[in-house]
Amino acid sequence: MTQLDAPPVLDQTSGQPAGRPHHRDVLAQRRQERTARVEPRGRRQHTARERAHLLVDEGTFVEISPLRTAGPSSGSGVVIGWGLVGGRPVVVASHDAAVASGAIGAVFAETVQRAQRLAIDRGHPIVYINDSGGARIHDGIHALHGCGGIFANNVEASRRIPQISLILGPCAGAAAYSPALTDWTIMVKEQGQMFLTGPEIVRAATGEDATADEIGGSGMHTRTSGVAHLEVDDEEAALEAARGILSFLPSHVGGEQALVEPVPARPEAVARLPHVVPDKSSIVFDMHEVLDGVLDDRPRLELSPEHAPSVLTVLAHLDGRPVGIIANQPKARGGILDAKASVKASRFVDFCARYGLPVLTFVDVPGFLPGTVEEARGVITQGATMLRAYVEAQSPVLTVVVRKAYGGAYIAMGSRSLGADFTWAWSGSEIAVMGPGGAVALLHRRALKDAEDPEALRDELAAEYRENVARPYLAAEAGILDDVIVPEETRDLMVQALGVLAPRTPGGAA
Amino acid sequence: MSATATAHADIVSNVWKLVTEVGAQVSAGDVLAVLESMKMELPVHAPATGTVSEVLVAEGQIVQEGDPLVVIEPAASSSGPAS
Repeated sequence: MTQLDAPPVLDQTSGQPAGRPHHRDVLAQRRQERTARVEPRGRRQHTARERAHLLVDEGTFVEISPLRTAGPSSGSGVVIGWGLVGGRPVVVASHDAAVASGAIGAVFAETVQRAQRLAIDRGHPIVYINDSGGARIHDGIHALHGCGGIFANNVEASRRIPQISLILGPCAGAAAYSPALTDWTIMVKEQGQMFLTGPEIVRAATGEDATADEIGGSGMHTRTSGVAHLEVDDEEAALEAARGILSFLPSHVGGEQALVEPVPARPEAVARLPHVVPDKSSIVFDMHEVLDGVLDDRPRLELSPEHAPSVLTVLAHLDGRPVGIIANQPKARGGILDAKASVKASRFVDFCARYGLPVLTFVDVPGFLPGTVEEARGVITQGATMLRAYVEAQSPVLTVVVRKAYGGAYIAMGSRSLGADFTWAWSGSEIAVMGPGGAVALLHRRALKDAEDPEALRDELAAEYRENVARPYLAAEAGILDDVIVPEETRDLMVQALGVLAPRTPGGAA
Repeated sequence: MSATATAHADIVSNVWKLVTEVGAQVSAGDVLAVLESMKMELPVHAPATGTVSEVLVAEGQIVQEGDPLVVIEPAASSSGPAS
């Protein structure tokens, strides 16, 4: 039983019990204890609180329940609050690796969920600054229950508000799942890691000997697995990338588009546009040059630049409107579609459509990559997600075939049949069920077998096929394409199309 | 940096042309070979500046995604990207 103190003697001047510190001093003391700076360990550059402050516009961060604690003098293990990013409110949850390595205990989880609730209920984006070793073992089932609650909120949030995850330290187990439920994940090189199980447990469980970077480093996740979408050099760059993504987005689903001042495409790129696509159809080119000649001359933000690079997913502006670009990249694996590229593209189409960003599709696709490897990866299922994403997209979809579109890949790249609002093809392009080589081999099998010079006959038939079957005029005459155009008409047509599909209101909103 | 840099095939393809040989000096970004896949000519670029120490494939050979093609011994004072 606690012994009760004797009634205090009042100090006549302050109304305070004599011999005790003034309540204002107590508060100051408590605040100082809770926010005392703990020097970041390892490659970390900033504390959890500093990161939150640095993410938002200077001086705008407001911390929520800073005195919340899981035990004496420990803190909750996560700094939550809000601030302004580009003048708009954004909620932040920043893991504190100085408290039990950022382990997610019951109080930590409750605190993150508080931030999530605010963001979801009031329609503001949320940025998670992750630096956590996973569930706190001491909290047992309460830790797991808390982690599950964060995940459930992630899923609810994904239908309503942008969620961005930064990985600024090793994120294991439960701490790796939450980012996977958010829109975009940004990792700092040689500092951030994501894995379900770290090196020790991997070794114990299966005997595999691998480093933390091999299991979950930024290189592996941004190139091979596709779990993370951007790899950056340091914490500042990660925070900047998060601000960059948010600058293209409304605060919530159905919110006002983040319009900027329209600027024309870069003049040199416009002049070059008619000459970007090589005459010979087998020669690669850089699709970014096409984008340069069509889109506003403003910085673009490419997501997953090194994962499945045959398809580009880019945030950009057209006539001052944020737009999402899906484009084949001929200079990376010929611009093919495969299982990974399909997942990358469908995820991006879903994202753009959810936030009302028009999807602009630039097509130069030789087809879905055939063969045992891709079939074993489930390219049928993954490819189908691309069809599903375009069909479901409610935002404007504009598609232009810049060189070739064959077979199932023609359909998958935002075709009219999947619901594209307007479709065009450049006058030199080819659209057909299959490429000339394959088509000729199939259609003229017998003639080729009997020919004296099959090589010459094949070339002749292929040229004929290219001229008579694969030209875009058949599609335009059938109304499957809206028009056959020259490259320099692309920008104006797209701007005009958005003008009727999503007119700007007089107030300036799209 | 003593580690070598290896150029890999990034897609199942046919080695259409080899445009380098053992002992050749190359700069990062130079074309080492041209692969043919999906009726496209896909250049393979040197991942580092240095000397070609091994060519692991022959023209006409079928390669799988990830197969090593050409190994480069990076130049000592190379400013090109490391392996």
